[in-house]
Amino acid sequence: MLVAWRYRIRENSFIQSFDPRAWVIFYVCCLVSTLSFWDVRFLLPFFVIAMFVLLTSGVKWHEIRRAFLFIVGFVFFFAILTFLTGRGGTEVYKQEHLIREFRASFSLLGWTPVLKITVERAFFAISQLVRVTSIAVMTILIPYSLNPAYYGITFKGLGLPDKFAYAMDLTMRFIPTFGRDFQLTMDAQRARGYELEKISGGLIAQVRKLGPIFVPVTIHAIIGSEDIIDAMDLRAFGVGPRTWLDVLTYQRRDRILIAVGVAILSASIVVGFMGYGKFWVPEALMGMF
Amino acid sequence: MASTSLPLVVDNLSFRYRDRQGAAIHNLSFTANPGEVLLIAGASGCGKTTLVRCINGLIPRSYKGEMSGKILVFGGEVKDWKLSQISQKIGTVLQDPERQILGTKVVNEVAFGLENLGMPRGEIYSRVDEALNFLKISQLRNRDTFSLSGGEKQKVALAGVLAMRPSIVLLDEPLASLDPASAQDTLDAVRLLADQGLSILMVEHRVEDVLRIKPERVMFMSEGEIRYLGDVSGLSKVVNYREVKLPAEDIIERAKLDPPPAEIKVLPGVTRSLSSDEALVRFENVAFGYESEVEILHGIDLQINRGDVIAVLGPNGAGKTTFVKHAIGLLKPKSGKVFVGGRDTTEASVAEIASMLGYVFQSPSHMLFAPTVREELAFGPTNMKHTKEQIELEVKEALKIVNLSEKENDPPLALSFGQQKRVSIAAILAMRSRILVMDEPTAGQDYQNYMNFMDSILQMPAFEAIIFITHDVDLAAIYANRVLIIADGRLIADGKPQDVLRDFDRLKANRIIPTSLLALNLKRLSTTGRFMRAEALAHI
Repeated sequence: MLVAWRYRIRENSFIQSFDPRAWVIFYVCCLVSTLSFWDVRFLLPFFVIAMFVLLTSGVKWHEIRRAFLFIVGFVFFFAILTFLTGRGGTEVYKQEHLIREFRASFSLLGWTPVLKITVERAFFAISQLVRVTSIAVMTILIPYSLNPAYYGITFKGLGLPDKFAYAMDLTMRFIPTFGRDFQLTMDAQRARGYELEKISGGLIAQVRKLGPIFVPVTIHAIIGSEDIIDAMDLRAFGVGPRTWLDVLTYQRRDRILIAVGVAILSASIVVGFMGYGKFWVPEALMGMF
Repeated sequence: MASTSLPLVVDNLSFRYRDRQGAAIHNLSFTANPGEVLLIAGASGCGKTTLVRCINGLIPRSYKGEMSGKILVFGGEVKDWKLSQISQKIGTVLQDPERQILGTKVVNEVAFGLENLGMPRGEIYSRVDEALNFLKISQLRNRDTFSLSGGEKQKVALAGVLAMRPSIVLLDEPLASLDPASAQDTLDAVRLLADQGLSILMVEHRVEDVLRIKPERVMFMSEGEIRYLGDVSGLSKVVNYREVKLPAEDIIERAKLDPPPAEIKVLPGVTRSLSSDEALVRFENVAFGYESEVEILHGIDLQINRGDVIAVLGPNGAGKTTFVKHAIGLLKPKSGKVFVGGRDTTEASVAEIASMLGYVFQSPSHMLFAPTVREELAFGPTNMKHTKEQIELEVKEALKIVNLSEKENDPPLALSFGQQKRVSIAAILAMRSRILVMDEPTAGQDYQNYMNFMDSILQMPAFEAIIFITHDVDLAAIYANRVLIIADGRLIADGKPQDVLRDFDRLKANRIIPTSLLALNLKRLSTTGRFMRAEALAHI
């Protein structure tokens, strides 16, 4: 059975005060706009919006702590990795201003590891952090804030055909279901003496040893999908245009939110065409090195 | 044979699945009348589910193969109909409501079929309310479906079918995952439907339970053929009482003519000790909750000793699985302590505890992964560093116990559900842990198979204690020497079966319904001194 995310109605939640369609439109506008910038000055407003949405969402810290720490940890890890290696940022800047260079005292097969700290790398890491954190925060809040009962009608209301809208509904609910099945399989195999943390051997051997987890989880997902298809077929899904029982109605505030979202997106596109918003490093800082 | 007035006519129906040899059903012919409950019984693999799939149209639309014969619904041949047309005449409730429910809210779930037919909203709401009222579950209307109990889910699934106003309802083992009281509620609803004029075809292993609602006719299937079709009174004369679970009185009547069953020597490797120091598992005031605010288990205090065969009874959602998951350390108590073999479970890994305590999960599909049954069974012992020779011996013996020796080289995932369940039990048996814990080992199994493997498991010398969660009161009465009742996360009763199961008021309060075998055993307790299976009672 498909399980739902931990949604509940929250008092004074800013997100939940809107029609889910309006929120999805606003979210997509913010997402695309954020992705169109590398300039930290342009990214900061989106970071502020994300933080505002987070703090007014009514979602308690203990509810999202694990997901939040995982994602932020992930973002930090990659930002630092890019900072240390210098790879990834080279697409947005050509020239680097060296602050300091650390050269290892040893060589590996003739290669000496060198760590270069440059103004560009430092600013790229900051931009990347701000950019991805803004998107992650907005995204994390969706499952906690959107009523699972409205997933289908939300996508239908956004113009998707019946079948696609219902498929999106099922997909959204498939993710937590997959998580639950994964946990059940982990438990079942641990009860047979299997210890994931003690897997050893080469890469291929390690992947093979993951079989006891991934085979049941995959098979379960396939069987589960077949059951869902049978259950849908037996109740005449897809035979013609369907009625959606729930009705969503836009209020004034929803229209305003959509207008704000579209305005942000339009402005971002215009600004982008004008050549602004690309990777930026303060002139003064470059002059110092 | 065809008649336009009859809801269902099956005429000479045969079907063979595309990827399997041999037909799953052969030349079946029968009719279903309005206002009748037709119970379809038979062992696993007898073709019951295939028959249901042929009638509801999933065969040949979703399951391909060779089909011959006719199925007529009110005179029309369903072969020519679209699934949407069939679904308005024939409603299907699948074995596990978990597999059928799609909606997030009860109201959306019940409305799903009507939405698909594009009905106006007003009509949908009125039909949804009608179906919910009919099944007396209007109070569930706005609940989240995933928060419902097993019995509630089954009724919601049934409401979703009824809202489409079918003339025929197919129920494929609707009681498999329900506690006795929920099963009874479902059966009462089914009887009511038949009394309203619907034709009900109910596939079910729990024959005795269904007989309580007086089905008009019974069909007994074996090897894809109809062996018996007629009224209930004739069933016990034609079927093997070891294959289908009949009421205890009928079994006694038949078993008198056979030699008495062999005595079972329970846990032959154990000499019973009453010393509290030797507790294999000890729960000390254990409380637990998945979320910080909600507690599921409250103050569980008990110990499991050598020689214990414990049946855990209780309603759906009472915390039984949560309780046994603490014994293997998959869950750690929020307060209190659990000791296994004298070791605190918070200080040992699950893998370490597994050598002491083997745990068979409810669903086999969550653990089967290996390319052959043999490799599947060797997985646990290999993790526990048993020697190669030991593993070979353990695998062979476990396969023999669950009657799957001939499937040793088959892929476990290609087996039937019942066989997969037995593989999952054998996989734990092969680990030779000292304690065996089984979560609903008999669910979805046919009577003969589960009685056989329960007999064999209890006679294994390796185990020092066995715990099983079950909804089957007879299983508890026959096999256990200690019964626990858990309800609302509390230990309500703990004692010998003859002490715990004699209090019918307490049983009913905890959604456990006394059976004919239990009643007979209690009646004869002064003579027998213990609970016995019906075949044994026949010779006393």
